[in-house]
Amino acid sequence: MKVERIIKLELGKLNAQVPEKRLTLKAALVSNKPAVFTKGGGVHSFKKGELELLSKMLPEEDWEKLQLPIFISFEPSLGRGTAKIRGKIETAVVAQIIGKNKDDEMTVYRPEVAAIRRKLPTTTQYLFVG
Amino acid sequence: MATAMNVSPNRMELIKLKQRVTLAQKGHDLLKDKMDALVMELFDSLRKIQDSRIAAIGQLKKGYVALSECIAVMGTLETMQAARETRKEIQIDVSARNIMGIQVPSIDIGEVERNALSRGYGLYTTSSSLDVAAKEFEKALKLLVDLAELEATALAIAKELERTKRRVNALEYILIPRLNEALKFILMRLDEMERENFTRLKRIKAILEERE
Repeated sequence: MKVERIIKLELGKLNAQVPEKRLTLKAALVSNKPAVFTKGGGVHSFKKGELELLSKMLPEEDWEKLQLPIFISFEPSLGRGTAKIRGKIETAVVAQIIGKNKDDEMTVYRPEVAAIRRKLPTTTQYLFVG
Repeated sequence: MATAMNVSPNRMELIKLKQRVTLAQKGHDLLKDKMDALVMELFDSLRKIQDSRIAAIGQLKKGYVALSECIAVMGTLETMQAARETRKEIQIDVSARNIMGIQVPSIDIGEVERNALSRGYGLYTTSSSLDVAAKEFEKALKLLVDLAELEATALAIAKELERTKRRVNALEYILIPRLNEALKFILMRLDEMERENFTRLKRIKAILEERE
């Protein structure tokens, strides 16, 4: 049974970076040290440059609606290297980066994920959904 | 293989084993996704490091050329004296960010370029070439701090990648094949038992018919 425990432990640790509570862009912009506490007990801070970039990409009324970090969720059922981005505002941001049509839910592929992460390394996070 | 795992060929064990295979497969798929993401992050970091290192080295070269000019104009001792008088502290904000459970440093460096008055050395005794050299080195400092952040990130990602790869390989080449082998063994053994039962019943039926 030891192997199963190790697998379960590994699966539990996969999403240790997920924040306890997400932060809105508006709240992050006014904060001195914009950061969230992760489920693994750590701190994840956002770079101010990225927050400013996001604020330029979205109209001011949407700042309250954008929850940070934006999740790039990997699901094995989608196939290797394929991920989903959920949320109207979240997909609107991603659509501007990778030049896709925005929707409520967006499927992104590995090169697109790399492009998103390159542009928004702290304001996006991976999520592994089993 | 199956006997080495101590599996008894019964239906209960078969159900348990199927659950273990599903869990192992799920773990393998998710860890493989994580591995792919880590590879992507690592390559991205390496690309950034390469660009950042070229920029930092280029800037340091400019700095050393400016320093040589300054030494030539002012003299070695005077330049060293001015360097001792310079204010050495800069404001940097070191926090952490999380990439798939790995804590990596996130350094926000403010404005490091200062004007001649705020550097701390006397303006009366120094040449303007010292200002130029100081400015070039301040630019280089910013680039070096960025490079340090990138290198620390790449190192942490590489370590995690190695660990994840070991786990994925253990699941892919050892655990899952072993579980499948045990599963196959139980299925074959159960089929065999069913055939034995069938033959036994047929034999009993034949004996009973003979008696009648």
